[in-house]
Amino acid sequence: MLYVVLSFLMVSLLLYVLLAGADFGAGIIEFFSSKKSQQLTKKTIYRVIGPVWEANHIWIIIVIVILWVGFPEFYNVLMVYLHIPLTLVLLGITLRGVSFVFRHYDAFVDKSQILYDWMFRISSLVTPIFLGMTFGAMVSGKIITSTNSISFYEAFIQPWLNPFAILVGMFFAALCAFLAAVLLIGEANSEERKIYVRKARIANIAVILIGFLVLSYGIINDLKFVTGFINNPYTIGLVSLSAILILPLTYCIKRAKKVKSRFLAGSQVVLILLAAMVTHYPDVIIISEGYISLTDTAASSEVINVLAITLIIGGAVILPGLFHLLKSFKMIKILE
Amino acid sequence: MDNLDAARLQMAFTLMFHIVFACIGMVMPFFMVVAHKKWLNTKNPIYLKLTKSWQKGVAIFFVTGAVSGTALSFELGLLWPEFMKHAGPIIGMPFSLEGAAFFVEAVALGFYLYGWNKIPEKFHWYTGLIVGISGVASGILVVSANGWMNAPSGFEYINGEFLNIDPVKALLNPAWFTQALHMTLAAFTATGFAVAGIHAFQVLRQRQIELHKKAFKIAITFGAIAAILQPISGDLSAKDIAKRQPVKLAAMEAHYETKEGAPLYIGGIVDTENREVNYKIEIPNALSFLAFGDFNAEVKGLNDFPKDVQPNVAITHYAFQIMVGLGTLLLLVGILFFISLKRKHWWDTHKFWLIFVALAPMGFIALEAGWVVTEVGRQPWIIHNVMKTKDAVTPMPGMVYSFYMYVVLYSILTIAVTWLMTRQIKALNNSELV
Ligand code: HDD
Ligand code: HEM
Ligand code: HEM
Repeated sequence: MLYVVLSFLMVSLLLYVLLAGADFGAGIIEFFSSKKSQQLTKKTIYRVIGPVWEANHIWIIIVIVILWVGFPEFYNVLMVYLHIPLTLVLLGITLRGVSFVFRHYDAFVDKSQILYDWMFRISSLVTPIFLGMTFGAMVSGKIITSTNSISFYEAFIQPWLNPFAILVGMFFAALCAFLAAVLLIGEANSEERKIYVRKARIANIAVILIGFLVLSYGIINDLKFVTGFINNPYTIGLVSLSAILILPLTYCIKRAKKVKSRFLAGSQVVLILLAAMVTHYPDVIIISEGYISLTDTAASSEVINVLAITLIIGGAVILPGLFHLLKSFKMIKILE
Repeated sequence: MDNLDAARLQMAFTLMFHIVFACIGMVMPFFMVVAHKKWLNTKNPIYLKLTKSWQKGVAIFFVTGAVSGTALSFELGLLWPEFMKHAGPIIGMPFSLEGAAFFVEAVALGFYLYGWNKIPEKFHWYTGLIVGISGVASGILVVSANGWMNAPSGFEYINGEFLNIDPVKALLNPAWFTQALHMTLAAFTATGFAVAGIHAFQVLRQRQIELHKKAFKIAITFGAIAAILQPISGDLSAKDIAKRQPVKLAAMEAHYETKEGAPLYIGGIVDTENREVNYKIEIPNALSFLAFGDFNAEVKGLNDFPKDVQPNVAITHYAFQIMVGLGTLLLLVGILFFISLKRKHWWDTHKFWLIFVALAPMGFIALEAGWVVTEVGRQPWIIHNVMKTKDAVTPMPGMVYSFYMYVVLYSILTIAVTWLMTRQIKALNNSELV
């Protein structure tokens, strides 16, 4: 049963990163667009992401609930030591959510749109950076859980405000932009498509470049996570596979095969995330004194059993509906 | 302000914000589907216009409710990590089911908002109904988690450890039913009167009178029925509290001396120094009857409880008075509305509409006051008789800044949403009938 819960946790996290990631990324693309294509992107985002936007973001709530129910001590460390970046993520999610509805549901279209647009774009960029910083902080080994008197800075700032975490944050934002660009390519007509193809290429280069920086910084500073990463054969395999996928992806984008290219881009991201997960499973938080393991901090088996059953039933109810929603609004064209 | 106070204030502030949006997001879909049904049945374009305009309202409130709710689910851990570490596994069940309900709600809302003329008419209407039902379900589930904090069950507490956890028993704790019933009715009362008040105001200003009268009628019907049932359900809650949390009951009533045949106080100023209530109206034996159904039952007073387990009496008492006072008022006006259906000429008077405009915020004020009773009345416990609030708070200093940030953020959001709503109404009034 523990593995049922862990699979739900992993799948929810992956789906959040993919779906909400594409969603954040769309805002990032809008941020870095020229004035003319900004309006275009805005319309396309609304059409593509509008109907599923709410559902995408519930995955993070599922992740949080699974963590607090199933892995209370693990959750406790995250909530205490990463309080500040998580609060900033929340601030971003809030501003982004409301600016998204405001700009599409305001009864009059006037100057206030400019404000909503900028709020949307900036929060779309900043939120994934902080989210990525939180991921980075979990593995950067800077969290100090001993109760010895340490300063506020050491306990609550340094764990996440360090070069490694910042690089991971930027890496995550670049991944989001990449996903979104590939998604948008499929929705645009031939003229506009060129714009998104170019954006996808830029985002892809950014991903590789920043990824390279993350790794080199880790190697130079001998971070446990990174040395584990490069010495693990599975990890290397997954990352190489992800890199190889660039070739068919480029081909598919050229040929305007939109389903396949989305699928490939999604797989690339999933592979990279899996690589990161494989590296340090089950010791998912690396603290200065060692590790905090997900399996060791699991709640008692009664709790895990009930949680697993709830998740299975919930999944059986929700997934068909969600799938139908995605299909109805042509997000997934695999079935056609 | 110390860290604990800041955390408590932040929790209170964010919950009070969320509850307003959550209630509207929970109840408005019902108004919307009624209007939609009437459009399908009568093909009167006014109903279509009303449905579409309420739907925009639902979308705006839903998202504000959702983002503030997401913030809350983090906050439980960010502010009260010790609480969540122990309580999380026990009350995780309602929260994970709630997650499922949110999904259903979000999926159904996706269909509803984007499905006009795209999916079969009937199915489309049902998706709107599902939005409402799953919203109510999620409300009931969170309140059940709150009920557990008042009536902890489903575990054994041995030497500071929580053992033999039974999540199902925790979900169905002794308080869940009375609280969930009362809360659901409160959501309908508050939203019904608020929406009705807004439309009554438009009628007064002579704008699109036919449309606003129809809207008013739908909203107030829900609100009035709920308001009439509310005191009955409140009485059930009070009897429950008398058994389960006698200190809370004593604080609600500012009842200091243990007495048989205890009187009920109406109004009054609490003097916490001398532990008495001045300038009150006394109804003899009424408290004993309300709490235990027996005019001569003994009601334990605050003086017989240890000082360190007593909540803030003044706040709890005033909040309770506000809730019950407004509840009585709304009950009377609810009855008045049903009488007015027989006396149609009332609908042409200025006064009639003025009453509903004046009452628009009262449901929500009662609702917030009710939560203050429940939550402040539980202090100093975060889990009644098990864990103190001060032992649950985050060790991170500087919570005041986080509190200020939320105050600024949510104040801006409140202003923005209010402004958007006035623009919706303006657009509704300006547009031609389709
Ligand atoms: C429209 C709002 C509204 C109205 C008119 C009333 N209430 Fe209420 N009341 C609530 C909204 C509310 C609430 C906000 O929804 C609470 C807070 C927690 C809960 O479950 O419901 C609540 C709690 C609450 C409690 C405490 C429950 C607990 O701590 O577990 C009692 C004893 C009452 N109510 C009693 C009454 C009575 C006797 C009323 C008579 C008119 C009344 N309420 C009207
Ligand atoms: C939405 C309606 C609610 C409102 C307006 C509300 C209001 C409040 C208030 C005023 C406090 C501060 C009490 C004090 O410290 O003196 C508080 C605390 C708290 N509430 Fe609620 N509450 C609501 C619902 C809930 C629910 C559903 C839960 C849990 C599932 C909950 C959990 C808590 C917790 C954990 C605290 C902090 C600990 C404490 O002060 O006891 N609340 N709430
Ligand atoms: C500690 C207390 C609470 C937590 C942690 C919490 C959590 C959440 C979360 C995470 C969401 C967003 C779901 C989405 O994305 O759609 C949400 C929305 C919602 N909440 Fe809360 N909530 C709390 C208190 C309450 C209370 C007291 C009620 C009502 C009785 C309530 C009713 C709702 C409803 C109906 C929604 C759906 C959104 C809408 O329709 O606007 N919540 N809540």
